[in-house]
Parts: sequence; C-alpha cells; structure tokens
Amino acid sequence: MTPNSTIAKKGEDPGRHRSVRKVISFGALLAVVVWVATEAKAQAPISVRGGNPTLNITTGWPGSEPVPVVNTATSVRYRRQAAISKITVRTTCPGQSFTLKVLATGVSEGVAAPEVTLVNGMLATDFITNIPSTGTWTTTTPTLRYTASATFAQGNSAEQGNDVHTVTYTIQVQ
Amino acid sequence: MNIKLIEPIFEVSILFTRVLLRRTRTVKSGRSLKKLVVLHALILCHFCLVGRATAQIYGSDFHTVTVTVATITNVQVSSGSVSLSITGAGAVAGQDNIGTVVDQTTNLLWGVNSANRKITARTNLGAPQFALKLVALNPTQGTAMPEVTLSTTATDFLTNIGRSSGTCTLRYTGVALASQGTGTDSHTVTFTVTN
Repeated sequence: MTPNSTIAKKGEDPGRHRSVRKVISFGALLAVVVWVATEAKAQAPISVRGGNPTLNITTGWPGSEPVPVVNTATSVRYRRQAAISKITVRTTCPGQSFTLKVLATGVSEGVAAPEVTLVNGMLATDFITNIPSTGTWTTTTPTLRYTASATFAQGNSAEQGNDVHTVTYTIQVQ
Repeated sequence: MNIKLIEPIFEVSILFTRVLLRRTRTVKSGRSLKKLVVLHALILCHFCLVGRATAQIYGSDFHTVTVTVATITNVQVSSGSVSLSITGAGAVAGQDNIGTVVDQTTNLLWGVNSANRKITARTNLGAPQFALKLVALNPTQGTAMPEVTLSTTATDFLTNIGRSSGTCTLRYTGVALASQGTGTDSHTVTFTVTN
C-alpha cells in the first residue's frame, strides 16, 4: 500500500491530493515568513510607521509666499537600548527645490531636538537625544511633524519636478 | 551566558584574554608571556580609539516624503476703488487741457511661481470720455513699462516679474480737455499675469 492510496478515496486522483498538500505547505510557509517578517519589524530597534507622506503646497498670498503645509501622519517607533542612545535624521533628495523640515512631537523617552531642516546630502543630524537605557518603557512612538514650504522664487513642481526625499532615521549610541 | 556587548572592543578583549589564559598554561617562557600581554594592551588601545570614533548603530529605517508645489498665480489690488476728480480749478484760459489729477494711493501685489511672466492692464470701458493713464512705481520685482493710456486691449504694465512675490504703487492720471465737456467715466481695471 502506497502512502497515496491510504489518503485517496476510491475513485479520487492521488496526484490531486499531492497538489493540495503542496498548496497547504506553501501557504503555511508563506504565513510563517510573513509572521517572522512582522515580528522582526516589531522587534526592530527603530521603525518608521505610517507610510510615505506627500505634502502638497497649493495656495499662496500675493505679496507674501505660498502657505506651508504640515503633515503629522507618520511616526517613528524606537526601542530601549542597552546604553543611552539618540536618533539622527538625514535625507537624500537629488535636485531638491523646496524646503522640508521635521520635528519629533510627543517624545516621552528622550529629548526632541529643535526642528531639523532636511537638505539633500546633509550629515546625520540629532533628532531625539538622551534616550534612556533604563526605566519601565520598552518602546515609544513619537509623531513625525513634517513641514513643507516654498517661496514663489523657488518655482513649482510642473517646472521643477517634485522633491522626493528618502528620509533615514538611525538609532545609535549617544 | 548571552551578553549583548555594547562595543566590539570588549568582544575582542575577552577573546584575547581567553587565548592569553590558554597560552599561559602552555607557554613556559616568561618573556613570551610578556610579549602577549603587551600585544594585548596594544590591541586594546587600538580598538579603544577606533571604537570611540565610530558610534555603535543599533538600527535604521527610512521612508519617502514627497513635496509638491502647485502652479500658483495671484494678483491683487490693495483697494477696491480709486476716484479722480477734475474740477478745473487750475485751468488756464486759452488751453484745452483743463486739468490733470494723479492718484497713487493704491498698490498692486502679486505672487507668481512660474517662470517668464508679466502683468498686463486693461479697462472695460470701451469709449471713455476722458483719458486715464497708468504706470507702475517702484516695483519690487520686474520692469515697469512706460505710462500707458488704458484701453480695452491688454497692455504690458510690468514685465519680467519671473517667479516672484512683489508689490508696486499704481499711479493713475486722469486728463480732461475742455473740448471733452463734463461727465463721469467709470472704469473697471483688470490686471492679468500672463506669459
């Protein structure tokens, strides 16, 4: 008696059962991979949450400048580390035309630095400092407050193109 | 014991200490042992310096932030209405021009973030009884055109404003001739940002 004949009922195709088993195995494997990836993300020392925001500047006053736009839809989650740590921020934005600033708000662990102006190719700049290595906390998730602004002299996206920043947050020993 | 080390220096140091202890048991010569101790000290110093220079990074993450700026074109006058009254008080006998009145109490403001722009001016009054002239004074951006007599055809008023935010003073001049009689002209003056 072959293994297939023990599973397959009379008149059923043993090959079909093998296929079903393969699909189930693959599904289980995929679930494990997704779970591991999710756990890895959750356990990461730092993670940016809320996706990739877009800030649209659409209005401006004559004799003044376009009205800045604020976005607070994203946040940064970080874990307590073995030593006092800090988070730095930097960006790459080739051909940057407009101004983008970021500020951490609602910081409960550590001290938020003053608003950082994100400039293409900038050195990593302190964003949250003095993150304690002790205490009852494990993770915290302050809000990222992005402010985009532009002057009339800086032009518009139709002529200059959009500014696409890759903003990187790094947690390191202070 | 599973210890998460803060700096690589300690990992190297502990490793080296283990080797040293193992060698201590086997090395018979005291001189060789001394050499090992000195070597250990040198390596420790080296890693101390290098280790301090590069701070340990626990992790990084990134996302993409996009900034878009729409095409914005704004132009605005500082006041809704200007009134010029020619009374003929200064009229000179024998001259057709019975009076010229000037008003420069209003300003034009603009904000334009497109390149190669200019501002034109025109009136809605097709057949004015009196002449109404206009010129830009002290523009903060661009080049003021010579004074123009307003008509229903848009005429260059301020050129080369480019991408800018600025202001200028509007100087209106009303001219009446004796031959034109008396009356009132009501103009709606329109300023347009254009290529």
